[in-house]
Amino acid sequence: MKTFEEKWTAWVDERLSGRELSEFEASLPDKAAAEAEKAGTLKLGELLKRELSARTLSNEEFFSDQLHENIARFHQATAGQAREARSTWWTIPRLLSAGAASLAVFLVFTVVVMHEKNPAEESQYLTQILNARVDPLVSPNGTVSIFEVKQDRVTVLWTEGLQSLPSDYAAK
Amino acid sequence: MVRSLAFLVSLIALTMGATSVLQGAETVWSGLVIAENVAQPQPIPPELTRIEGSLKKFFGYNQFQVIGQSQKTLKTGQEDWLATSKFFGLHVDARGETEAGYVLNLKLYKEKELLLETDTKLSKRSPLVIKGPQVGGGQLLLVLVVQ
Repeated sequence: MKTFEEKWTAWVDERLSGRELSEFEASLPDKAAAEAEKAGTLKLGELLKRELSARTLSNEEFFSDQLHENIARFHQATAGQAREARSTWWTIPRLLSAGAASLAVFLVFTVVVMHEKNPAEESQYLTQILNARVDPLVSPNGTVSIFEVKQDRVTVLWTEGLQSLPSDYAAK
Repeated sequence: MVRSLAFLVSLIALTMGATSVLQGAETVWSGLVIAENVAQPQPIPPELTRIEGSLKKFFGYNQFQVIGQSQKTLKTGQEDWLATSKFFGLHVDARGETEAGYVLNLKLYKEKELLLETDTKLSKRSPLVIKGPQVGGGQLLLVLVVQ
């Protein structure tokens, strides 16, 4: 003997027929309300079936999905490598950049320093005679002149009119 | 990395220190030279080799003989010394060191008689030659070179 609830479920699922159907519908106190409830229940069932069933993917969607996953993995790997590369300080490009920068600074300083030093260097380069004098009592006609021989960077103090001496004075 | 940098800095500092020490102790050669024209000239003394061409061209002699010399290593730049021959004496009084060389006071004596006095800045790269008196058929030259 089926209970009311079992018969109600079977009626809603339209599994009742014949005499059982007519007896159940006759037993309903408000058939119109029951029909409305049945229709609502069926609609809800259809909606649930439609929305909750596993969605099947087409081939294109499947490959597109796989492709996106691969791209995402590749990006992750590339980002990891880039982080590793950044963590190493003396990479080849940085070495080259540092070398080029150092060379540029060296050249700039060299040019500036050489440019500033050149005029003074000529005077520092050669020996300078600050003053020279001969004893006027010993050599009354004595004069001095200064020459610079740039070929060998020799400075010459040239005297004239000094007292001549005999060859004996050449002794060691 | 830090250790390498520290090592490099130390090496440069040591090299610079050693260089300045080496630069601080230099030797000045001063010589009394008789220049003459002879038929068989003697080889030029090694101290004059680097200025041989200038000496010959400028003074017109073919032989240069050292009759007195002195070699002085300057440490403070305040030293003085004497280069002498039998009759001549060259007194050199160093009066300080500059970046370019030494400030020197030079006095040439014939026996006790002062013939010539000069103040000069002797460059480390530029020898000084002073034409002295005529001696017989030749010429007395005074030469100072920073070696």
